[in-house]
Amino acid sequence: MATPVIMPRQGQSVESCIIGKWHKQAGDVVKAGDLLFTYETDKATFDEASKVDGTLLAVFFAEGDDVPCLMNVCVIGEPGESFAEFNPNGAETAAAAPEVSPSVPSPVSDEPAKGSAETVAAPAGDLPGAISPRARNLAEKAGADLRFALSSGPNGRVIERDVLELIASGKLATSAAGKGYDAQLTGTGIGGRVSVADIEKGIVSAETASPSLPAASSPAVSGPESYTEKHSNIRKVIARSMQASLSQMAQLTLNTTFDASDVLALRSKFKKAGEAGLKAEQGFTLAENVPTINDIILYAASRVLLHHPACNAHYDEEKMTYFNHVHMGVAVDTPRGLMVPTVFNTDLMSLSTLSVEAKAAINACKTGAINPDALRGGTFTVTNLGTMGIESFTPVINPPQTCILGVDTITTRVREVNGELKGYPAMGLSLTFDHRALDGAPAAKFLKELVKALENFSLLLMQ
Amino acid sequence: MYDLLVLGGGPGGYMAAERAGGAGLSVLLVEKNKIGGVCLNEGCVPSKTLLNSAKIYDHACHGEKYGVTSENAKIDQEAVISRKNKVVKNLVSGIKYTLKNNKVTIKEGLGVILGRENGIISVAVGDEVYEAKNLVIATGSEAVVPPIPGVKEGISDGTVMTNREILDLTTIPESLVVVGGGVIGLEMASYFNTVGSKVTVIEMLDHIAGPADRELSTLLQKNFAKKGITFNLNCKVTAVGSGQVTYTTADGQTQNAAATKTLLSIGRRAVSQGFGLEKIGVLVERGRIVTDAQGRTNVPGVYAVGDVNGVWMLAHAAYREAEVAVNTILGKKDNMRYQAMPSVLYTNPEMAFVGETEESCIEKGIKYEKTVLPMNFSGRYMAENEGGDGIIKILIDPDRQRLLGCHLLGTYASEIIVSAGMMIESEMRIEDIKEIIFPHPTVSEIIREAIFHHN
Repeated sequence: MATPVIMPRQGQSVESCIIGKWHKQAGDVVKAGDLLFTYETDKATFDEASKVDGTLLAVFFAEGDDVPCLMNVCVIGEPGESFAEFNPNGAETAAAAPEVSPSVPSPVSDEPAKGSAETVAAPAGDLPGAISPRARNLAEKAGADLRFALSSGPNGRVIERDVLELIASGKLATSAAGKGYDAQLTGTGIGGRVSVADIEKGIVSAETASPSLPAASSPAVSGPESYTEKHSNIRKVIARSMQASLSQMAQLTLNTTFDASDVLALRSKFKKAGEAGLKAEQGFTLAENVPTINDIILYAASRVLLHHPACNAHYDEEKMTYFNHVHMGVAVDTPRGLMVPTVFNTDLMSLSTLSVEAKAAINACKTGAINPDALRGGTFTVTNLGTMGIESFTPVINPPQTCILGVDTITTRVREVNGELKGYPAMGLSLTFDHRALDGAPAAKFLKELVKALENFSLLLMQ
Repeated sequence: MYDLLVLGGGPGGYMAAERAGGAGLSVLLVEKNKIGGVCLNEGCVPSKTLLNSAKIYDHACHGEKYGVTSENAKIDQEAVISRKNKVVKNLVSGIKYTLKNNKVTIKEGLGVILGRENGIISVAVGDEVYEAKNLVIATGSEAVVPPIPGVKEGISDGTVMTNREILDLTTIPESLVVVGGGVIGLEMASYFNTVGSKVTVIEMLDHIAGPADRELSTLLQKNFAKKGITFNLNCKVTAVGSGQVTYTTADGQTQNAAATKTLLSIGRRAVSQGFGLEKIGVLVERGRIVTDAQGRTNVPGVYAVGDVNGVWMLAHAAYREAEVAVNTILGKKDNMRYQAMPSVLYTNPEMAFVGETEESCIEKGIKYEKTVLPMNFSGRYMAENEGGDGIIKILIDPDRQRLLGCHLLGTYASEIIVSAGMMIESEMRIEDIKEIIFPHPTVSEIIREAIFHHN
């Protein structure tokens, strides 16, 4: 009996996934554990391995196809076995499977034709890192320059729809122009394509290429005035979420600072212990994996939040939902934009566990491998601009949460100690709260307790 | 208040009006003479009706080599001219109809620019003053009439003509001197030679057909010489009158050519005076309005298209320039390109070319490779042209492997050249062109042949 392989459901929010790459072709012998295909959600890439031994009898979808979750993607069985009944497209198209050839060489690399782009000049701009074969083929056919493509696929991958948008927006080069030109060039060829003349003249824009007429009084501009980029999906999500936040909430920000001497002393103690050779296996995990200041703030906030339920809550028009545990949102700047993974139950974690978990979530976001479900469910968020020297800002709440804590940079402040002025490292905290959910005083109380916890962090850690 | 006012109803003007009206702009088109301009009324189109009559007559007279003989073939010049008038009339009304369909208002009379205030341009036509947010100047060009002794008198007594008068000539002159061996001159030389005039072409340069590839223009000249046209190159006309044209040769000798009629076709001059350009400060250099790649002049909202900008005095250049200007007005990105501008001589044989010539490549320092092939590589050409000696020449960019120029001398060249223009405009590589299917048997296949003959 042949075994179908389905498109797995990656998280409850994912309806369908795009097949990124086939590692096996119809007819290949596969063993349990062999990589069958790679598939992608909007935000992450996953590998699907075979669970059985056998022969890959049929492949129902090609690279770049968007396949609903739980649908049959391919069939493994014994050669000669019937598989038509597994074909979600109907029996008649099952024979199309052999067309899927994951390693189709692109026409250009295949055939170093005279006059092809590669023999003319080296590309003068950067090609996007990952390009789906389908997108590459389409771009080759249409003469679209992939350097202008958005990479809306997972891991910053350029997928077919990016190329379709690119073609629609007219960023094309003529066949003879190829791709060996400066990405700044504005096409003046047919249909707005970059032409050989554009390359040779190095025209930067059609406007500046015009004969200089006397009335033109504006100073000479050497580059294009502007350029446009369509929004990536992640940008659209951020835009919607941020606008909803600012337009629908009554948010305001409280700023304070805390004396970071204890936190800094503790970190340097961990570091020194690590340098002295104390190992995790001996029980000194903090010495081997020194937590960041951000980890320390996440830890302190996770503890303090339990005393301030209104700050660890969701607000909607009807009700407040208070959480008994803290699911910490950690704002991460990724090459594709802001992402906020959630580290669940941080109030139950030790500092070292929290540090490891937060680091893993941040890395998963940066590489695009984050599970979509890990991007939801936060009850409180910490965002850190302190590493960029920001002294105070107004973070924007991630709805339906009620608070977001901004972490600012450390500045030196002076205070009077026994009639003497002494400097101390003051780290800023900016708490934005939703005044619909809670009033100023309770928010300030949370902040005050957080300051106390951080100023006495060694004691907090011992509890 | 109009969105757009167009001065001049020739190809540039009526195309601008048609496109702008079609895009929903309110448009006023002002024409001082006849809608259709020089092209339709006294240029491109009427000359084609004459040349077709000549072609038929030529076939009738010289059909023996195809096994066809006819007796008493005659050309009726009056009938030729009246048919020409009918064709022109039909086409003019066709253009008026199209303009009306695109909701363009037509105003007949001389439009004079009064001024520009707060971005609004005002133009007077007679006693009426019209205002518009944008102005397209498409006032065209006129034949250059040189100050040669006898020319003024000749024009008033009808023995000296420009393109305008010669296309209304109802008698066939015994002898015709064509001053200027460019496109207009050669087409008229071809016509009157076929219908029986003794034709002499006097040209100041050492070659005919202006910017055409020299190898082809030389071959065309040979074809004409065989048919009985006399060419005097490197010669300068010094006087006209008393049934002859006097000219000096390169070595300084003075000679005469018999001339019942004389055609002046030494060139055309942009019409940039007499309608108030100076009122709004439009920059004019050597009589031509200076424009950029969008057709804009130095005055915001004022555009110039067609012969008046002097870039490329061809009706189809004006069409495209008009579209670029209107697109710019509409805020659509567009720019004018000239590298694939086709040129056609509707002579017998026809000559057509697009892109670079060998001469222009050398002048501009463009690297090229060439392939020249007899047109007889096309089966249809051979079937239809007994003793035909036409050629194709293609020029190829060896680095980019694209077509730089294509030059044709032979039947249907005028109709075929557009395909080469598309290859040049879209910058197809030679390997791409090889994948194009040409209908067989056609003369157009000569392009494919030449491409495959190129190594």
